[in-house]
Amino acid sequence: MHLTSLTAEGFRCLEPLTFEPAPGVNILRGDNAQGKTSVLEAVLFLVTARSHRTNTERELVQRDAESFRIRGAFQRSDRPLQMEVNWWRNTKRFKVNGVTQDRVSDILGKVNVVFFAPEDVALIRGAGSLRRRFLDMELSQLSSRYLHALQRYRESLRQRNELLRGDKMDDSLLDVWDAQLAQHGAVLVEERGRFVQELNEHARQAHACIAGGEAMTAVYAPNVSPETGLEAALRKARQGDIKRGATNRGPHRDDFELVLEDRPARNYASQGQQRTAALALKLAEVALIEARTGEYPLLMLDDVLSELDAKRSRRLLEAVPPGVQCILTTTENDGGTPAFEAADAQFVIDGGCLARR
Amino acid sequence: MLVNAPSMEELVEALRCLPGVGKRSAERMALHLLSAPAEEAQRLSEAITTARARIRTCSICCDLTEADPCAVCSSGRRDRGVICVVERPAGTIAIERGGGFQGLYHVLHGALNPLEGAGPDELTVNRLMARVDKGDVREVIVATNATAEGEATALYLSRQLGTKGVAVSRIAHGVPMGGGLEYADDATLSHALEGRVRL
Repeated sequence: MHLTSLTAEGFRCLEPLTFEPAPGVNILRGDNAQGKTSVLEAVLFLVTARSHRTNTERELVQRDAESFRIRGAFQRSDRPLQMEVNWWRNTKRFKVNGVTQDRVSDILGKVNVVFFAPEDVALIRGAGSLRRRFLDMELSQLSSRYLHALQRYRESLRQRNELLRGDKMDDSLLDVWDAQLAQHGAVLVEERGRFVQELNEHARQAHACIAGGEAMTAVYAPNVSPETGLEAALRKARQGDIKRGATNRGPHRDDFELVLEDRPARNYASQGQQRTAALALKLAEVALIEARTGEYPLLMLDDVLSELDAKRSRRLLEAVPPGVQCILTTTENDGGTPAFEAADAQFVIDGGCLARR
Repeated sequence: MLVNAPSMEELVEALRCLPGVGKRSAERMALHLLSAPAEEAQRLSEAITTARARIRTCSICCDLTEADPCAVCSSGRRDRGVICVVERPAGTIAIERGGGFQGLYHVLHGALNPLEGAGPDELTVNRLMARVDKGDVREVIVATNATAEGEATALYLSRQLGTKGVAVSRIAHGVPMGGGLEYADDATLSHALEGRVRL
């Protein structure tokens, strides 16, 4: 899968944009605040209906404008694919091959992307909620069964929490929401377990490649183990839940742990090790998506080179499987780093204007 | 020029309360009512007033009806041993249109929805229990919607009814009749696969 052409109008600070990346490694360079990340963000929004930087879509539209439009042409192994989004005053319409899509969920998974932003190092260091969000985003792209269970689980969780806080609470009512949570939560736990296991296989290899042999493992840590069963756990925690007015057990508290040489990366790894671990996870995703769908995702790496030494950036690019289309952004302007040598195409962005070099 | 016409605005807002009617449609309807002969508007307004005054809920099944008890509840030809539970009056209309169902109905007027403050007392659950307690009922078919709220309600009813010695069943969810598999959405299909029946 690769992007052959992207056009955007009214998006962020970008001038009307036409971006035609090469199938291999593409470098997008420019000074700070010129629009590098916005180009990646436009691709991300087009294929996932969300931004990595904000949940307020109004921020995505150019100042003084009311709408934006992004179009992308992709080449899948079997056929070309056109995606389009029109955003107008907080409503968005997606089209796939010219056909309007009724639900946003219908566009997910048409084009898979893996995105790495500098703040993704929080995947290693940050709270469990970030790793859950990672699992949810990836699995929602890969499995419609997961997406459906996740939506139902969240709805039921909101209903149960409201019931816990309200004055109409009784055990028989809690029972039915517990049963709903248990039914959909079981799907989440099963799919997450399988996903982390596969992710672990790929991440180990990618990490060894970039970090020169240092061993990393990813272990799924469900809040309630399948052996205990969510319904039993909820029942046991019920009195506490009532006191606190919130549901304290369940997949909405899941996590997965990254272990570097037998120690939790979260507490013991250095800044550079954490960054490398986060990158390894993203590369693992690339391999995993290929294994599941038969097609490599589009890989976008925002501003990673500036933080890696020459050796690590070379190894990073070596760890990217051949055939993966990769778009890298960097502030560096000299052509001396190994990344530049490996690039199939280079672009310069200045004041929202993009040009090929 | 209908600028600054408060009565027009009021009409548009009133029409917008109707389900499926947005601002544009409401304006179109309002303009139609105002430009058509006065009798047309009069007829609509009288029809609303009359229907509102005559239609009430059935004292047995809680469906909307003009005669109490409703036509289904008072029919001698229906199987009084089977009750089909639906969320809204629209549900009974849909099932009647489908034909084939010969039992009685019960309309809950909603589903369990803590976020909207709807518990069993806001629904007609107690009336349903009272009907079952009278003893003629063999089976209760729960036909609430396939949403989180509808499923929770179904489970709640099955547990409440479980002690009363009646069979409780849930309608099947799956692929529409006459429809190809390719038209069913993913969630429906996976549900249909899980709920498969042996041939």
